[in-house]
Amino acid sequence: MSISSPPSLVEAELAELRPFLQKELEAGTLDLPLLPVVAHQVLLVSGDPNADSSKLSTLIQQDQALAAQILRIANSPAYAPRSPIVSLQQAIAWLGFNMLAGLAFSVSVQSGVFKISGHQQEIQGLWRQALATGLYGKEIARRIRHNVENAFLCGILHLIGKPGALHLLSRAPSPTGSSHSWTALEILLDEFHIPVGTVLGKTWKLPESVQETIQFYQDDQYHHAISPAKGTVITCLAHHLASLSLQTSPMNEDAIRHLPVVRELNFYPEDMTALLELQESIRKNVECFVI
Amino acid sequence: MKPSSSFDVLVIGSGPAGQKAAIQGAKAGKRVGLVEQNREVGGACVYQGTIPSKTLRESALQMVRFLQATDVFEFRMRDDVKITSLMTRLHHVVRAHGEFMKEQLTRNGITPLHGRAKFRSDHEVDIHHVDGTCTTASAPLIIIAAGSRPRIPDHVAIDHEHILDSDSILSLVYLPKSLTVLGGGVIASEYASMFALLGVQVTMIDSADRPLKFLDQELTDQFSLAFEQTGGRYRGLQKIQHVQWDGYSHVTTTLDNGETVNSEKMLVALGRVANIEYLNISAAGLEPTSRGLIAVNDHCQTSVPHIYAVGDVIGPPSLASCSMEQGRRAVCHALGLDPGVAPEHIPMGIYTIPEMSSVGLSEQDAIGKFGSALVGRAKFYEIARGQISGMTNGLLKMVADPDGKELLGVHIVGEGATELIHIGQMGLLHHIQVDRFIENIFNFPTLAEAYRVAALDIAKQRSRR
Ligand SMILES: Cc1cc2nc3c(=O)[nH]c(=O)nc-3n(C[C@H](O)[C@H](O)[C@H](O)COP(=O)(O)OP(=O)(O)OC[C@H]3O[C@@H](n4cnc5c(N)ncnc54)[C@H](O)[C@@H]3O)c2cc1C
Repeated sequence: MSISSPPSLVEAELAELRPFLQKELEAGTLDLPLLPVVAHQVLLVSGDPNADSSKLSTLIQQDQALAAQILRIANSPAYAPRSPIVSLQQAIAWLGFNMLAGLAFSVSVQSGVFKISGHQQEIQGLWRQALATGLYGKEIARRIRHNVENAFLCGILHLIGKPGALHLLSRAPSPTGSSHSWTALEILLDEFHIPVGTVLGKTWKLPESVQETIQFYQDDQYHHAISPAKGTVITCLAHHLASLSLQTSPMNEDAIRHLPVVRELNFYPEDMTALLELQESIRKNVECFVI
Repeated sequence: MKPSSSFDVLVIGSGPAGQKAAIQGAKAGKRVGLVEQNREVGGACVYQGTIPSKTLRESALQMVRFLQATDVFEFRMRDDVKITSLMTRLHHVVRAHGEFMKEQLTRNGITPLHGRAKFRSDHEVDIHHVDGTCTTASAPLIIIAAGSRPRIPDHVAIDHEHILDSDSILSLVYLPKSLTVLGGGVIASEYASMFALLGVQVTMIDSADRPLKFLDQELTDQFSLAFEQTGGRYRGLQKIQHVQWDGYSHVTTTLDNGETVNSEKMLVALGRVANIEYLNISAAGLEPTSRGLIAVNDHCQTSVPHIYAVGDVIGPPSLASCSMEQGRRAVCHALGLDPGVAPEHIPMGIYTIPEMSSVGLSEQDAIGKFGSALVGRAKFYEIARGQISGMTNGLLKMVADPDGKELLGVHIVGEGATELIHIGQMGLLHHIQVDRFIENIFNFPTLAEAYRVAALDIAKQRSRR
């Protein structure tokens, strides 16, 4: 658990860190890490109609930590395998190709890209949110007959700017030498994750619909998105539902039911009831996905 | 108390049937309310049916022609352009068509009512809005045009990700390597031939011995041939035991004989069901038929005289073309306006590759009715225009009475069939004799010349008698 700092200290930290991030963004030369080769390839494979599961498992095998995580997830109670899963091929068969591709990508990004020390629990919270959004995105896409795989990818990557911004902040000079409080960092992540994510999306050449989602997934922004895949508006609602299911939302069920995005997606009360009923199963799925 | 509004005519559903009903009511000076549950007007026709499937087909054809031209003109297309550009064009066309529809309704002063309609009584309809509120609308005349949706068979778990229906197939963002199509009807055949043309390995599985069983066999034989030439397979006389997504790369279809067919994706196109359960038609004094449809008389009037039902909700032929006319005629009948002569010969257009179209009696029907029939044939490759365009698989079949004089039906397979058929339709409507096609001059070179060639074929058989 992070200890919250008194308001004046937080203000001081913000005053010090905000200009740092602003300067980095204005300079346009963000020192962000490259996408690890494995993650990039996994992403390519998952969008490649010619890819098969053996190609994916070969890729995953290149990263031992990743392979271990995937086996752990496939064997977790949420996926309740009939017999223990011992090979990657078998894990892929059990979890599903696209689910696995997305998962492999996010696990590899989680563990490999951003070297962030401290705040492990909070960072896990971010990934929980991203994964729950991806899973909810799939269910929303199914309902409106939009592309399910794309919705998942948009969901798991829409917050990529947060670890990206954390990575930048971890290199910010600290006059006192002490590490920054999570309260301050959280405020800054909220403020900066979209511009940082936008740069990351471009640098990593993420699919266009994902880039659009990163930029416009918020309630007052989704109307800017033009992709017919509707990944942005799907992710906007998925994000709210994910927060509710992970009990991190400042909104209650009723407030979510009345969000403009619900009307945008033309969801009637009965559609929302059906989606809200999935909270428990999404939560269970997320738990076994997080490292 | 709930807010309520009253109209002269209340239409439920804004697909082709509802739209034309509403416009006819407005043109007759009535106050019309149009209830639609979706945000956009246009119905299945605009968003999941006719318009997207035909746009996708047209774009696929253009793309294949373009790809073929790359050899001639020595340029290359990026491999990934394929499906994304097809889909982008699709969305443009759908959006433009939707906007046009909306504008047409506004121009006619029709009041749009966004919500789900549910009968409260035979004159009142509750409209449940997306925000959870409910209003009531009443009218002395109500038209049900709620349309249809894909049927979900009990034994196939459609997940809209790997196992798709004709709505979710439009969400594909890349071309699968292989596709199994369950069904052998119009939608199944149209999508099967389109994907096969785009290089997808397509297997159609159905219980009938050939696809589109209701059509003239000579036409479907040509279709099957073209389908096989693009790598497609038709597995007829099959029963499905079960269908399962194996979890990572394939949908496995197990047939009754134990055989399995694997494919990356599956399209389930096993018919459609009417959208009536939400309507609560019993509150209006109506009961669904055993097939889940709304029963109507020749004027599309239900058993409750001031309630009409039009379009897919009353069952076959379930075509946008017929639905529109039913909507218009129903309102004319209800308002005591002359709807004009009832359409006698409804053409059927099937946008497979190649296209097929049919009007009037088939050869089998004509034999059933008259004891025998004379049939004239014109193959497109024998016609100058067909040769110029490199058409190898077109056929026009003209069915005449046993004396070879009276035109009874026309059946065409080949590109342009759905346009060409209208000449035959007009001929049938005006009881044109077969010889009129011989005596008159057609533009040269055109495919319409096939009518002359087929008529000559009939005349030749006549003279041999
Ligand atoms: C893939 C495909 C291809 C097709 N190709 C062709 C073709 O080439 N040529 C052709 O002629 N036909 C074609 N059709 C058929 C054609 O689309 C339908 O026959 C036509 O759309 C039927 O029109 P409709 O107005 O009866 O219903 P729909 O178009 O289904 O519209 C009904 C509307 O009612 C609304 N609605 C339903 N219930 C309620 C409610 N309770 N309250 C409020 N609103 C409600 C629905 O949201 C919908 O918008 C095709 C269909 C499909 C699926």
